[in-house]
Amino acid sequence: MSALVGRWGPAVLRVVVPLGIVAGWWVLSRDSTDPYYPPLQRILERFQELWLFASVRSDVVPTLAILGTGFAIAVVLGIVSGLPLARTPVLLAAAMPALTFFRALPGIALIPVFVELFGFGDGVRVAIVALAAMPPTLVATIDGVLGVDPTLRSVGTVYGVPAWRRLLAIDVPAAAPRIFAGVQVSLQFAFIAVIASEMVGATRGIGYLTLLAQQTFVSADMWAGVLLLGLIGIAINGLMMLARRPLLGWYDGAQAVAREA
Amino acid sequence: MSRTTTAALGVLGAVLAILAWAAVAALVGGTALVGPLDTLEAIVDLAGQQTFWDTTGTTLVMAVRGLLAATVVGVLLGLLVGSSRWVAQALQVPIAFLRPIPPVVVLPIVLLVIGPTQQMGEALIFYGCVLPIAVTTANGVRETDPVALQTARSFGLSRLQVARRVTLPSTAAFVGTAVRIALPHAFVIAVVAGYLGGAPGLGQSIVAAAVSGDSARLFAVVVVLGWLALVVHELGHLLERRLLHWHTTYRKVAA
Repeated sequence: MSALVGRWGPAVLRVVVPLGIVAGWWVLSRDSTDPYYPPLQRILERFQELWLFASVRSDVVPTLAILGTGFAIAVVLGIVSGLPLARTPVLLAAAMPALTFFRALPGIALIPVFVELFGFGDGVRVAIVALAAMPPTLVATIDGVLGVDPTLRSVGTVYGVPAWRRLLAIDVPAAAPRIFAGVQVSLQFAFIAVIASEMVGATRGIGYLTLLAQQTFVSADMWAGVLLLGLIGIAINGLMMLARRPLLGWYDGAQAVAREA
Repeated sequence: MSRTTTAALGVLGAVLAILAWAAVAALVGGTALVGPLDTLEAIVDLAGQQTFWDTTGTTLVMAVRGLLAATVVGVLLGLLVGSSRWVAQALQVPIAFLRPIPPVVVLPIVLLVIGPTQQMGEALIFYGCVLPIAVTTANGVRETDPVALQTARSFGLSRLQVARRVTLPSTAAFVGTAVRIALPHAFVIAVVAGYLGGAPGLGQSIVAAAVSGDSARLFAVVVVLGWLALVVHELGHLLERRLLHWHTTYRKVAA
């Protein structure tokens, strides 16, 4: 009996605890009249009314479109500018101080500056997201390429591979795991930037509606908004993990083999 | 490339970047895009005001207090998760669920419950830092050298003694790295809490400058934020090396 508990106990716990938390929330909040903590049932009802699918076209799609566009621009710009920087020591040395500053600067701080300069169109928000999300990819690309095994590069040189092909066929794949990690962080940054940009001065979007609900003390709507944003955060994180297999499957496989050997 | 060349190139690059900024500002004209000289002037002006130092202090205190709470709870949680299969399995789904949810998403909740105060900022920082620290600590516990563990056990050390003398010191490097990474993060969340949530500190200064249309001060605050973020980042590295110099991973780096 006790052996059975030891074997299956943790696995059961893994399923029971999350269910227990949700069930506990449901039961404890059922008769809640506290304006801050509305019943979970009410939150889910508002979730359904708001997001399935009344406000999808008007608020969810714009948020996701800005997130996607800004993130894509950040990744492309980060990799495309990182590669030549990493391969040109003079450029890298010259760009380093500016880069270090830009990287340390909280992306959120860009929002008021951009709003001040360009107003608050969707294009401006895409630019904010792109700029806030770029540093992790850029830095990871530079670090990744700088960390490429010199032997690999020498082999390429010895075999007379042209410089641009060395970059694409040796540097990029060898740096890919690092770059991917940077891209993952970039996505997180992009997500944060898009919500933050919606929380100040936007007139639509999930972040806007959620903070508006908070400010007007419609707390069920606010909880529903937080729930949706949280689910989106989990979903985009999951998408990145899914993307890892086709992109880096060869690397993970090689690592696993190397560990076993 | 020698160190002096690198440094000279860095200075050159920085000067060029600032000149480009000045050129664009001069070309655009108007008051919205503030040039580097006006920004510098505004920074000097800020530095002369006691309130500016107070708000900066508030932001830093907020970041440190939030991070301290997150470290204490995160390390305890990580030790539990790392050493017990039961706890690990029980918390796996909740942690995996909460981790990809950034503090900005939780901001409306803490703002609703606590209000636009310093405590709100600290709560937000706590939320943003506690799980990464816990997860890294748990990984550290699992990576403890099995030979060291078995040696301690065969010398007859009790479980508590093993934890104190082997597991904890070995995990310390992981905790150090996690806290070092969390430190700049905590600073950024402190600013966000002020900027989006109205908590006191530099985030609020951004809002004040933006609302009053004082572009020069807005630029000044943003530049100061960048500097502070850099300082905080470097401070983290320094502290980590100072506090953990005895650990094998750091001794290797030094050698």
